[in-house]
Amino acid sequence: MDNKPHNGAELRLAFIGNPNCGKTTLFNAYTGANLKVANWPGVTVEKKEGTYRDHENRFRLIDLPGIYSLTSYTMEEKVSRMCILSDDVDVIIDVTDASALERNLYLTLQLIELGKPVVMALNMMDIVEERGMEIDLHRMSEMLGIPVIPVSARKKTGLGALMHAALHHRDSDARHRIEHHHKVGENAELHREHAVVYSDDVEVIISKLEARLKSTYPDIANPRWHAIKYLENDEEIMGRYAVPTDDIYTGSYESEIINQKYDFIEEVIGEVMANKEEKSAVTDKVDSLLTHRIWGIPIFLGIMALVFGLTFTVGDWLKGYFELALEAFSGLVTNLLAALNVSEFLTSLIIDGIIAGVGGILTFLPNIIILFFALAILEDSGYMSRVAYVMDGLMGKMGLSGRAFIPMLLGFGCTVPAVMASRALEDRRDRLKTIFVTPFMSCSARLPVYVLLSDMFFGKWAGVAAFSMYVLGLVIAVIVAIIFNKASAKYDAHTLLIELPEYKTPNAHTIFIYVWEKVRDYLTKAGTTIFLASILLWFLLNFGAGGLVEDMSDSFAAVIAKVLVPVMSPTGLGYWQIIVALISGIAAKEVVVSSMSVLYGISNISSAEGMSLLEAQLGASGFTAANALALMVFVLLYVPCVATIATIKRESRSLKFTLGTMVMQIGTAWVMSTLVFQIANLFV
Amino acid sequence: MTLREARIGQDCRVNAIDLKHDTSRRLEMLGLTKGTIIRLLNAKKGGAVIIRVRGTRFALGREIAEGIEVTVRG
Repeated sequence: MDNKPHNGAELRLAFIGNPNCGKTTLFNAYTGANLKVANWPGVTVEKKEGTYRDHENRFRLIDLPGIYSLTSYTMEEKVSRMCILSDDVDVIIDVTDASALERNLYLTLQLIELGKPVVMALNMMDIVEERGMEIDLHRMSEMLGIPVIPVSARKKTGLGALMHAALHHRDSDARHRIEHHHKVGENAELHREHAVVYSDDVEVIISKLEARLKSTYPDIANPRWHAIKYLENDEEIMGRYAVPTDDIYTGSYESEIINQKYDFIEEVIGEVMANKEEKSAVTDKVDSLLTHRIWGIPIFLGIMALVFGLTFTVGDWLKGYFELALEAFSGLVTNLLAALNVSEFLTSLIIDGIIAGVGGILTFLPNIIILFFALAILEDSGYMSRVAYVMDGLMGKMGLSGRAFIPMLLGFGCTVPAVMASRALEDRRDRLKTIFVTPFMSCSARLPVYVLLSDMFFGKWAGVAAFSMYVLGLVIAVIVAIIFNKASAKYDAHTLLIELPEYKTPNAHTIFIYVWEKVRDYLTKAGTTIFLASILLWFLLNFGAGGLVEDMSDSFAAVIAKVLVPVMSPTGLGYWQIIVALISGIAAKEVVVSSMSVLYGISNISSAEGMSLLEAQLGASGFTAANALALMVFVLLYVPCVATIATIKRESRSLKFTLGTMVMQIGTAWVMSTLVFQIANLFV
Repeated sequence: MTLREARIGQDCRVNAIDLKHDTSRRLEMLGLTKGTIIRLLNAKKGGAVIIRVRGTRFALGREIAEGIEVTVRG
């Protein structure tokens, strides 16, 4: 390495490892909750950075996504490779799971081949020792040519030693001495230099390619690695360093390269591991129940019922108190502003705009905190991966991952945390598909609208009418998912391929950071959008051509609504008051009810007399049960509330996708309510 | 025979993987190389399976399980 550290300079470390190896727990152990989360430029993969100090040494830590290999098949792999190869990284910290060492070593070998300093953090040694296994760390270090440091991310042991090793390994240019017991033959030189030496025929090709790459690109760093990438048919590398190869080799050696790496891994495991798989862990016993072919699904549903119950009963109970406090606060401020003789405009901005907007953001917090606490436990214990297997059959039919069940179920409670829960899905396309259909699950805020309208128009069938909305939402979601899937079938048929990690006791620190990250993300990223959108809606509903308006019917929203009347006529909702109520419902679905009462000049809408008054008013304008049903369908399907839109934007990280979702929802709502209205009209 | 036809608890030797290029390579990188011994830990009617390979567990969908050629080793 040419850029030696001068004393006191920052050492930049990249943490990399397989999924479930404890990499993030280890990373958190160094940085705590104090990290910078951003996106890698141009892609939607998350980038986490933090710092750590140890005496006078400063470290900058980058947490790379969990990956199994360093090819360029997935975005995560590409990003990790780019980051490691860049000058931003001095030392690679390869986090490995000692209990799955054999598979973890594959990535290790790829990292070593990159030619940068690598230090292995061997995690979960405690678990391995409990199981009676032994790993000869000294011998492993000798065979791989890199320092191997045992750590426990959970018990926070070995942390200092790891940083120390990184510091020292960076200082030394020379790799550790590599010593193997296998026959070296004619490639003795290679065996001293490289941990992995391929079969003679492959090595001949590598050395020819190396020579050609070096002569064409004199500045190329580590030509051996690039030559190996050539054999693996790596398009990115072959494009960047193009050389003719037809006279050297033909076809792809990718499979050979992988197989021979594993041959070497078997040799390493054979030498360093004693009492391999003595006890096959509790995991298999737990799994025989949790992934049971009959009991697996009921158990999962039971767990989900618990999560749902906690999130929405406890969450909504806390939310109730929160709303009381907010109301009291808002009343207090109103009095204060009145006492100070503040203008009507400013009072409305503060009370109806700012306080209502911020309050609206905060009311979701109890749900979000409890939900993510529960999901963090499921994730950290290792159960979440099993969900993909257990629910694969049912969800797979819709082209969705088994885990998509979780956000969809949560959607019946509240769409905001449900959309956030789509992070449990590992694949981006799966995640988007799930986000796309989740808002169709009828959230609890839509219930008051159904209750009010069905009570007024459907008499003893009120319950059925309200319940049918839930069924309709589910059916639409399934249909849309299937269509979406058919449309994107050219990419990849859904196939389950997921690791099931060992079960473990969830770690309090990991859970805390998981929840904290979600909450912070929601407040800072989604919160700002929700706030701005709430202010915009406040403006539309409270302002007209002549400034601040007393009556919603003079507002800009009413002007827009009157323009939209002909468009909405086929749906049976061609009443400007209803359209204004629907626009106000974008702030929060339950507002539709209160807006209707305001627009029709009814003071206590939930009381019997208020209802009959509204019914009479609606009836006078020709609004019948058919219109009511159409309105319920429209409320079910049209754009979700601003909080949901902002969350979709945040989670998808794509404005185009968010807008597309909204257009699709309005379109679906229009088509479905027209259908319902026209058919219902035949019978009413 | 394919992995899907194996019975729960059986150890199988991987003979060949007959799947799309990317999926095959991914499986190899995860340690499912030719000659590897894997154990079928669980299977569902729909065809999804759980296997143990090189000390780790993986859940594989039906399409993948049907594309892995194995010989049962008792």
